[in-house]
Amino acid sequence: MLAPVRRMLDRWLFQLKARETGEVLLVMRRVFILPTKPGMSFVSLLLIMLIGSVNYNLGLGFVLTFFTGSCAIVDMYLTAKNMAFLRLVPGRAQPVFAGDEAQFELLVHNDTPRDRYALWLGFQDEGEPRQSIDVASRSSAAVVLSRPTTERGWLAAPRVRLFTRFPLGLFGAWSYWQPDLKVLAYPQPEVAPPPLPTTGAAREDGYGTVGLDNFSGIRNYQPGDPMRHLAWRQIARLHPADGGNLVSKHFEGGAVSDLLLDLKALPPLLDLELRLSRLTAWVLEAERRALPYALHVGHREIAQGLGEAHCAECLRALALYGKEGA
Amino acid sequence: MKERLASMANRLTRDKADTLLLLLAAVMVLAPHFGHLPLWTSAMVCLTLAWRGAITLRGSRLPPIWLLLPVSMLAMGGVYLTFRTLLGREAGVTMLALLLTFKLLEMHARRDLFVVIFLSFFLLLTNFFYSQSILTALVMIATIIVLLSAQITFQLTGAVPPLAARLKLAGRIFLIAAPLGVLLFVGFPRIQGPLWGLPGDAAGGKSGMSDSMSPGSMTSLALSEEVAFRVQFKGAAPPQQQLYWRGPVLSNYDGRAWTRIGRPLYPVAQLRLARQLAWQGASYPYEVTLEPGRRQFLFMLELSEPGASIDSADGAYTDELEQLVRASSDKRLRYTSVAHPNYVAQPGLEPQALERWLQLPQGYNPRTLRYAAQIQALRAERGDDAAIAAVLDMFRKGFEYTLEPGRLGRDEIDEFLFDTRKGFCEHYSGSFVYIMRAAGLPARVVNGYQGGELNPVDGYYTVRQSDAHAWSEVWLGPERGWTRIDPTAAVAPERIRTSLAQTLPQPAPFGLQGLADLARDQTSWLAQMRFGISAMNNAWNQWILDYNPNRQQDFLRELAAAFGDWRLLAGLALCAGLVLLTKYRRTGRAQDPVDTAYRAFCRQLARHGVDKAPDEGPLSLAQRVRQLNLPREKIAAMTGFLELYGALKYGAPAAQNDNPVARLNSLLKQSR
Repeated sequence: MLAPVRRMLDRWLFQLKARETGEVLLVMRRVFILPTKPGMSFVSLLLIMLIGSVNYNLGLGFVLTFFTGSCAIVDMYLTAKNMAFLRLVPGRAQPVFAGDEAQFELLVHNDTPRDRYALWLGFQDEGEPRQSIDVASRSSAAVVLSRPTTERGWLAAPRVRLFTRFPLGLFGAWSYWQPDLKVLAYPQPEVAPPPLPTTGAAREDGYGTVGLDNFSGIRNYQPGDPMRHLAWRQIARLHPADGGNLVSKHFEGGAVSDLLLDLKALPPLLDLELRLSRLTAWVLEAERRALPYALHVGHREIAQGLGEAHCAECLRALALYGKEGA
Repeated sequence: MKERLASMANRLTRDKADTLLLLLAAVMVLAPHFGHLPLWTSAMVCLTLAWRGAITLRGSRLPPIWLLLPVSMLAMGGVYLTFRTLLGREAGVTMLALLLTFKLLEMHARRDLFVVIFLSFFLLLTNFFYSQSILTALVMIATIIVLLSAQITFQLTGAVPPLAARLKLAGRIFLIAAPLGVLLFVGFPRIQGPLWGLPGDAAGGKSGMSDSMSPGSMTSLALSEEVAFRVQFKGAAPPQQQLYWRGPVLSNYDGRAWTRIGRPLYPVAQLRLARQLAWQGASYPYEVTLEPGRRQFLFMLELSEPGASIDSADGAYTDELEQLVRASSDKRLRYTSVAHPNYVAQPGLEPQALERWLQLPQGYNPRTLRYAAQIQALRAERGDDAAIAAVLDMFRKGFEYTLEPGRLGRDEIDEFLFDTRKGFCEHYSGSFVYIMRAAGLPARVVNGYQGGELNPVDGYYTVRQSDAHAWSEVWLGPERGWTRIDPTAAVAPERIRTSLAQTLPQPAPFGLQGLADLARDQTSWLAQMRFGISAMNNAWNQWILDYNPNRQQDFLRELAAAFGDWRLLAGLALCAGLVLLTKYRRTGRAQDPVDTAYRAFCRQLARHGVDKAPDEGPLSLAQRVRQLNLPREKIAAMTGFLELYGALKYGAPAAQNDNPVARLNSLLKQSR
């Protein structure tokens, strides 16, 4: 009985949409307002005051009752104005690993000459909004809402509810916003993965390649050296202004071979998610050890490489394997 | 000092500052009540507030509930012991004040803040039981603004604007609310109270004219400058010496005091009575606003048509031509009537009905009775008028008008007439009636007020307690009926022109004659100021305190007469407001002409089936436009428009020598 009414309200009154591209201006049509619980109590108080004024024939009592009542009505207007004509812009959304908190950044711009106070933001399905911001006139404020991820793939931002009770708290104005914002959740890395599947066969040009196993000294930094090879202790001794230089630790020896991470190569008996988790863990491990690696996931074949962009590409391919919008 | 305060304010954390603001609001609400709360309650409230302030400043914990509960129970017991009840007005207000104070010590959640603020609003209302002056109203406004500021403060979450800004916002809310408040005050349908019986202590003791006259009963009134009532004449006013405001009629005399006979009350003026009244000549419609008092008499200008129309009360009338209200009340009363100074009252009374105005107590005032016998002889010889003239003539010779006549003995009329020969209106009217009765003429004493001061500012006459007066009425046969005789006028004619107290020589304030003259001179600046304040108070009473259902109807009717239907007027005002609002909103968000043109262009494109995606720019739009199946020059105009728009919007701010907006609009027209 209630569900169809609710759906009709959502569609016709609240005009909820699945997706709102770009920025959104909160016109008055999008701002809804109802008395809060204290507001309802205030109405009863006004009623009692009115009855008292009538009964005791208090002329000034009527003045007090009507003026405070009018103040409540003005509060309704100001509360709606505290929300209306804000410009909402989706911010950045960094990828996370499944199981971590996805962080959605939302920007609230105030192009009007009035300061806005005590705006609460939260996801609609979470009930009471938990974060509050103030937006001074002609400025903007950012708020980050987080939500735990449970599985890999895209996680679209849930519908956001904005809420304010300012200035008097007798009325609550709210508005809905479906930000066009999604976070990519990489598969959760396996906790204790097996060792990297190195083939063991040395490459023909593998001679003299920089190894990784044995520390053999330091040398001047060259662009492309991994960050974790920087010799911080040595760098810290001298300030760059005093002739200090970036130096890298130098390793040599160890097996240098083709590292191919292939989904097909993993036992098919394993659960798909577990296999993806293992590949994720391996990608991270290879990246940590600066071993160039290639990745084959289904039809997606990513050539050998190393570095942040390569890593991100691989993780993305893993996250979206078998999902829509891959 | 100022620096110290500022540094203190910096040291206060937000919570503390917020609580102190709420405390300030509570103090503003409670302070006016200290005047009428029991002393121990005031002390308790002050102590508790100080304690709360100390807790806030020190940042210590609020007292636990096991401490608060017994203390508040004790306080409740104290209220019961003081008033012997927990109900009723005084006890209720005391309880509320204590409740608010203790609630301040028990604030844990946001809900408690609202409870405190709402309690404060209610307590603010209860203060009007005791005072409804203009000053009270100003204090009320200030208190509302501080209360609203506290309420605003507790809504803030992050940034906190300075206190001055919050007070300003609260003031702004109040100012925006004011016109609506006035509209509600004027137009909200009023119901006449009381809705239920008022508690017994609702009526306070007020001075006023009593319904008996014994030696000295007038003296207390004579020196009181308190306003008894105010009068507004609808047309011209009668001359000052005709302003006799008839109150209780006293026909019983027991040798000491004059009292009323308990006359039957008639619901409204009955026809039988009305037939016995006749008038001619000028008539004066008027409206009286009677200040609250403990008596139920209405003072009517002699002689008014029976059955005054009284706001919000039932009137009653007696056959001694008194006008009463059925329930004595503690509120201001407004009534209207029409007076006819030239009247004949009840000429057709039967002789046996007149008996009761001839009765005298046995064994009093033998000398007066002997004198009355002479008057009776004179009356038999030369008629009633001559007899009356003879008595008045006696008063005129050798009698003195004074408010300090000295004590009189058992035969007080004898002593007054033949020994002291000093007195004021109650002595003159009383002894006159006594002589008349002894001489065989039906007579009675009428109490009321005489005169009134015209306030040139608002045209109202103010009648004060010091205008209290007593005169006599004599029944002069079947042609003339009851006729007013004022023996005081014979002794002190100026009394009838001015007020009772002013007739007496007054000591000059601080021994300076100039000050006395200043106070008495109607044209001095002091008098002007007094008139101004009086007019302001009167307007306050008429329009704020006594704005009742009748008044509301009258006012709305007057509005309707002046402006046509007030509903239409209200509708028009509403429409005008809406138009202003939309206009304000439009100007509030000034439109960029370039954007306006672009929006119009997008609407045109939509008609050709090209819907702009939200993230689409002018260049990609231009590409889609080129694929449209339209005349070439139209497409050229469209792409030209988009290029120009792109250049204006995103290009470098080039120095255009022609008007780019005009060019944009002309392109827009071509692409239509």
